[in-house]
Amino acid sequence: MNLSFFDQFMSPSMLGIPLILISMLFPMLLFPSPNSRWVSNRYSTLQLWFMHLITKQLMTPLNKKGHKWAIILMSLMIFLLTINLLGLLPYTFTPTTQLSMNMALAFPLWLATLLTGLRNQPSASLGHLLPEGTPTPLVPALILIETTSLLIRPLALGVRLTANLTAGHLLIQLISTATITLLPIMPMVSFATATILFLLTILEVAVAMIQAYVFVLLLSLYLQENI
Amino acid sequence: MLSRLVLRAAPAALRALPPPPLAVGVLHTTRQLHTTQQSLAPLPPLPEKGGEVRHGLIPEEFFQFLYPKTGVTGPYMLGTGLVLYLLSKEIYVVNHETVAAACILSVIIYAVKRFGGDVAAFADKLNEEKMAKALAVKNEAIDNLQTAIDNEKKEQWRVEGRTYLFDAKRNNVAMLLEANYRERLMMVYNEVKKRLDYQVAMQTLKRQKEQDHMIQWVEKNVVQSITPQQQKESIAKCILDLKALSKGAQATV
Repeated sequence: MNLSFFDQFMSPSMLGIPLILISMLFPMLLFPSPNSRWVSNRYSTLQLWFMHLITKQLMTPLNKKGHKWAIILMSLMIFLLTINLLGLLPYTFTPTTQLSMNMALAFPLWLATLLTGLRNQPSASLGHLLPEGTPTPLVPALILIETTSLLIRPLALGVRLTANLTAGHLLIQLISTATITLLPIMPMVSFATATILFLLTILEVAVAMIQAYVFVLLLSLYLQENI
Repeated sequence: MLSRLVLRAAPAALRALPPPPLAVGVLHTTRQLHTTQQSLAPLPPLPEKGGEVRHGLIPEEFFQFLYPKTGVTGPYMLGTGLVLYLLSKEIYVVNHETVAAACILSVIIYAVKRFGGDVAAFADKLNEEKMAKALAVKNEAIDNLQTAIDNEKKEQWRVEGRTYLFDAKRNNVAMLLEANYRERLMMVYNEVKKRLDYQVAMQTLKRQKEQDHMIQWVEKNVVQSITPQQQKESIAKCILDLKALSKGAQATV
């Protein structure tokens, strides 16, 4: 298998059958549904504890109406977390490196928050376009700036996730290629590069988790403003 | 054509069969429909430990499966042979993903070895806390009921001693009454004595006044009756007496 650097970002297909759906649904298999026991096995207990932890963390700032979003935000969080972490394994395809998927996640959810805000509390929603305590001459400019920042949010959400993951994966590929190429030539440099790769892998694990969390956190913040 | 024959012959053939015995119908009505206890509770308990795994990945059953034919080293030879086969035939090509795989696998293995026990202990602790809370509720309920039972027994014991209580109360009341009676008696006595004392004091005062008055009157009259003649005689007598006395005194000294 001669892999170029961008083969890992190609949407996988086997004999012409696109496998993207399977790769997106695969994380579902890793999470057993909590069984009907009161005291269950360790895996289910930990899964439940983890879900409770992040649900509490993300949903506490929201008011009661915002708690309706708990299911979608939590499932999104687990989805992104699992996909990101699984993408670090070798020869795996990470769907979140595709801008199409991330925009498909970010744009509708952001638009939903915006429309909720505009529909239920339009003046409060529009009031967010002007931060408190701005001097009067700056008001028109600031409103334009805030509108731009508002409209750029879905783009930022999607591109942030895509760019972080793609960059990370690409870096891993490049540095591992350097390691392998340098191995017969200068082993010690190769060893140093391998150390860098090791640290980078740890960083990528952290980035994978953080990016998923940040995506969902920002969505919950946008929801907080608008609900 | 043959099929049409079969189809036309089928009903006649079926009718030719002996009719189903009555016992079958009886059997159907008397057969129990649920022969197994298919209830949802109590659930069978979870196994104590998970399946045995060697090197964290391969179940022990695989090694046991290969043991009769290849002994202890069999599975390892199989694994090594498989890896070498894949590498030598270049079915698996060593490329940059291999290095990345080595890194991520080392990270994963380190994390599992280092934190595996702690995570398992944490999960067990969560379950233990859950059970402990329920047990605590149960024990607290039992303790409360036990205290209630003890209180009830004590009340029953107290009820037995109620005669003593009533006697004590009766005595108490009688004593109070007695004390009150005596107090009033004392008060009466004091009042009467006060009045009698007053009368006595009045009489004493009156007599004293009378005496004083009489003495004063007698003295006054006596002093008035002393004439100057008598005064001079008495003074001369006194002087003579004094002289006699002084002589007598000088002699004794």
